[in-house]
Amino acid sequence: MRSETSPLLKVEGLCRNFGGLMAVDTLDFDVHAGEIFGLIGPNGAGKSTTFNVISGFLPPSGGSVRFRGEVLPGGKAAAASRAGLVRTFQHGSYVRSMSVGDNIRLGTVSGTPRPERAGRVREVAALLGLSDKLGETAGTLPHGLQRLVSIAIAIAAQPKLLCLDEPLTGLNETEVGTVLKVLDGYRRAGDRAILLVEHNMKAVMTVCDRILVLHHGTFLATGTPTEIRGNDDVIHAYLGQAHAK
Amino acid sequence: MDNKRKTVLHWGLGGGAAILLSLVLTDPYLRSVLTLMAISALLAASLRFVMLMGELNFALAAFAGLGAYAAGYMNTALSVPFVLALPLAGLFTAVASALFGAITLRAKGPYFLLIGFTFTEAVRVVYSKIPALGGTSGMIGIYPPLSLDDWMAGIVVATSVILLLGLFAAERSDFGRILLAIRENENVARSVGVNTYLCKVIAMSCACFVAGVAGGLHAFVNTVISPGDFSYLLAAFALAYVKVGGENYFLGPIVGAVVLVALSHYAIGLGGSEHFLYGGAIIVAVLLMPSGILGAFGKVGPRSVETKVRAARHAV
Repeated sequence: MRSETSPLLKVEGLCRNFGGLMAVDTLDFDVHAGEIFGLIGPNGAGKSTTFNVISGFLPPSGGSVRFRGEVLPGGKAAAASRAGLVRTFQHGSYVRSMSVGDNIRLGTVSGTPRPERAGRVREVAALLGLSDKLGETAGTLPHGLQRLVSIAIAIAAQPKLLCLDEPLTGLNETEVGTVLKVLDGYRRAGDRAILLVEHNMKAVMTVCDRILVLHHGTFLATGTPTEIRGNDDVIHAYLGQAHAK
Repeated sequence: MDNKRKTVLHWGLGGGAAILLSLVLTDPYLRSVLTLMAISALLAASLRFVMLMGELNFALAAFAGLGAYAAGYMNTALSVPFVLALPLAGLFTAVASALFGAITLRAKGPYFLLIGFTFTEAVRVVYSKIPALGGTSGMIGIYPPLSLDDWMAGIVVATSVILLLGLFAAERSDFGRILLAIRENENVARSVGVNTYLCKVIAMSCACFVAGVAGGLHAFVNTVISPGDFSYLLAAFALAYVKVGGENYFLGPIVGAVVLVALSHYAIGLGGSEHFLYGGAIIVAVLLMPSGILGAFGKVGPRSVETKVRAARHAV
């Protein structure tokens, strides 16, 4: 899966502190095209902060984020997105009062020519099984479908790196299956990758090619799912014996 | 396509009826009431357009004033013809509001509202200190060409219909969707590459273009303007029109303006103060019709983007 060419995302020495608290401390990792890269760790490990800094929602305190060879300007979310790095949020990234169709269309406004937008909306809706919900108000949908709308908006923006912040929370088995299938298909396009923060370990171990484990804002381990499951430090700090192999 | 055709039909019928009414009314008093309704509707629609992105533009009065003074000054001091003075006044206001927005739209909610409020009052003081603008007593003799005098009501209503159509088209476009996203979940818009700050400034500028033309129309209809015409109360009244008519509906501010302006003229006839009626209407609207007249009496007219905004906002 992993290409040997230059990485899509290269994070070097990334730091972010909030006053005296070092939320992310000197973090290095690469994400290559064609892979799903998992970012896991206990609550407070610094996953969301890492996500916020990479996606430009927070400026870094130190270090750099290089995306497709270019250093991203810190704290410029829209610029990161236009460069091809699009993220979702833990607590729903959609507009409650708008229809599902209008929500997905939002994803197309800055990168898709106007005449192609309607077609793109239908295409993404079909991918996520939302075709018959296009006219419904997003705020009135069940939680699981709202999660799918968030992912649909991000996919509609055609990112090269899709960053998903706990996309599976609150989804039932069928919906988890749908999302994992979509993610797998997305990765298979070859020139794209997915950065996934998720607590559903079964899903993470199934779908990720490589995993990075964070603990107290610092690097704990990295490797394939099999390696991570067998890592004593990770078992001790996060996974427990249930997920260990 | 079917929906589009329906919308065009609604606009054609509604706009056409309003223009026709302004042309067939012979009573000068009724014509002046209709003119005031149209200008008030423009100001309220301008206020609502900025509300789409979640901000209350209390600088509305200042920008209506800038439009009025710009039109008045161009007409009286520079002899710019009426047909040019009106759009130029709008453009002048749009540029001024873009500068204002670029500086102030980093602030949000009550902070932005307060900046607008103080700006309005500060600009009024500036008018009163400039002799070329007539000082405290204001500017006089802002006349449209004599040949157009009989047609002024029609011109005001037709201009209003055109500007309202522009705001409607903007609201229904992807730009309108972005504004709604900014109001409810700005991070979503940013995450898909939208420069939300720039969009806010553009929205502010578009809305204030409309307010500026409305101010210009006011100047030409009244022929006299003074700093007192453009106090923050103008924005407060516009907010009342929006709330009473129905914030979630494009037609809300228009219905609100028509009803409240009619009500105030009725009150003047009774010798009462219309301000009590405004206050009363707002209290009734807030308590009994939280979605305004249009919300209370069903789905009349084109709704704002597939709404339920209020319900959704409270459900968060």
